[in-house]
Amino acid sequence: MSIVKTENLHKKYPKPGKKNEFFYAVNGTSVSIEAGEIYGILGPNGAGKTTTLEMIEGLTDIDEGEAWIDGISVNKEPYKTKKLIGVQLQANEYFDHLNLSELIALFSQLYGRYDDPLLLLEQVNLKEKAKAKPKELSGGQQQRFSIACALVHDPKVLFLDEPTTGLDPQAKRNIWELVRELNSKGMTIVLTTHNMEEAEYLCNRLAIMDHGKIIAEGSPQELINTHAPDPPSAPLHGNLEDVFLTLTGSGLRE
Amino acid sequence: MSLTLVMTKVFLKIFSRDRQAIVFSLIFPLLLMLAFGFFNSGEVDPIAIGIADEANSTLSREFIANIDANPLFDITQGTEQSLSVQVINGNIGLAILIPEEFRGNPANVALQVIIDTSQTAQMNTVIPLLQQTLVDIERDLRGLEPLFDLSIVDVEARTQTYLDFLVPGLLALMLMQIAMGGSGFNLVEFRRKGILKRLFVTPIQPNNFISGLVLSRLLIVMVQISVLLGIAIFLLDITFIGNLLNLYIFIILGTTIFLSLGFCLGSLAKSQQAIMAMNMLLTWPQMLLTGIFYPIDAMPAIVQPLANVLPLSFVVNGLRGVAIDGANLVALMPNIIGILIWLAIALGFAIKLFNWKEVAT
Repeated sequence: MSIVKTENLHKKYPKPGKKNEFFYAVNGTSVSIEAGEIYGILGPNGAGKTTTLEMIEGLTDIDEGEAWIDGISVNKEPYKTKKLIGVQLQANEYFDHLNLSELIALFSQLYGRYDDPLLLLEQVNLKEKAKAKPKELSGGQQQRFSIACALVHDPKVLFLDEPTTGLDPQAKRNIWELVRELNSKGMTIVLTTHNMEEAEYLCNRLAIMDHGKIIAEGSPQELINTHAPDPPSAPLHGNLEDVFLTLTGSGLRE
Repeated sequence: MSLTLVMTKVFLKIFSRDRQAIVFSLIFPLLLMLAFGFFNSGEVDPIAIGIADEANSTLSREFIANIDANPLFDITQGTEQSLSVQVINGNIGLAILIPEEFRGNPANVALQVIIDTSQTAQMNTVIPLLQQTLVDIERDLRGLEPLFDLSIVDVEARTQTYLDFLVPGLLALMLMQIAMGGSGFNLVEFRRKGILKRLFVTPIQPNNFISGLVLSRLLIVMVQISVLLGIAIFLLDITFIGNLLNLYIFIILGTTIFLSLGFCLGSLAKSQQAIMAMNMLLTWPQMLLTGIFYPIDAMPAIVQPLANVLPLSFVVNGLRGVAIDGANLVALMPNIIGILIWLAIALGFAIKLFNWKEVAT
């Protein structure tokens, strides 16, 4: 059985400035994600990636269609499905005046758990920052903390919305390793990204979205085989990022 | 532990760490209290009036001496012309012109009063006093004994200063301001930062969140009010004869009303600027109209019906009733009913307007 399944999801919004006219931000997406997969949703801005995730997470009402987490309907039993999923959102600001350890404790308690926040912070390499405020962290650290907050209850599925956008290559690689590590322990991971390299490196399967619809789905290799244009006659060796990493080293900069 | 308690503890931690906000919200009411406590001796400033004595007779001098004896007046003598200028400049409130015929045994002499109609604030007080002084002098001249006399007895048989009257009002004012400002601002801020959205993906339910926020705010407001009350009682020595428990019942009910109203604004407002404007719209009329600084009875008749039913009026009356009249809850029942009606209205709107999904995303 799929751990995350959607059928014909629709989300419509009123057209700006026009009454009774709508456009579909999500226009009939059906996905079926197996337990243990890393599933990526690729697409340009405004393609409907985030809205699709938010409907599955129970953040946004589903206008048409249905979504299930582990066989439980998101529409009918949202508070049951919320306990099964961990969510990292694009915006990650937190309450003022609370440090990392206190925030982790708060999120744990919201799931009825009282684990030691330091254990989790250690897992994402932030133990020394336990007394710091989220604002005092670097971009990569903030993202790792944000993921840590989503892990407090050992979720079955972890949703990551553009987890590496805005990060330097070192921090990006670091997040990738964290995602792989979590996945190797059996956690299903669903992520959105703009980054093709990330999609290729991390994901077992990918969906490419545009205009609210999935226009292609498959493993990265399948997609390349089916859709990639013919290679140029003289292929380039490596890319700019490889150059950057060779010159600056791949150690973390924080 | 229930999620409501989890949120209450977290909010208490957050709010108590915002020391600046706590201290500054105490400073304004504290300054007001101290100002009235130390500088208001309870005496009224004398009204400056001018007298031009054109008669310069025994009678006119007696009249002037009579007025001079009244501590309400501060007399300047001069000519009609110089006094007119002073009236216009606002140095004196009015000038009385005693005509030459004001001597011996005058037959219906008219005294002229020169006023500036743009500065008539004190006229309602001064004219009757002048008339009374004239009647006294007339009786004196004609050798008449007054038929009636007023003897004023305070039924409360208690000495009360303006500060005693003011402090319960200030407590109510502060309670309204902290409660309304706090809850609404928090909501707008949490939404803007995406914190509500983040909480919304966890199993917490809206009522856990709201109750946690209300409970923690309520506790903070009670601590702040207690500090003010303590200062008023022990430092400024105000008269407080009521039951503390009754006082806190009014504080808790009142705070809950304004926290709920704050929530309504927080759900409606899309920005901090918007909520500030909405907040002013709701708090200013109540600040001016609810008898904090002077009784509602002393207000223009046209605003009294409105003033009497504002939520803060019930809270002010309740607190004042307990604090300075020592009234019990039965005697204050109309205020309690008023408060409960407002509580139902405010809570109803707060729950209706706080749509978790809309507010969060």
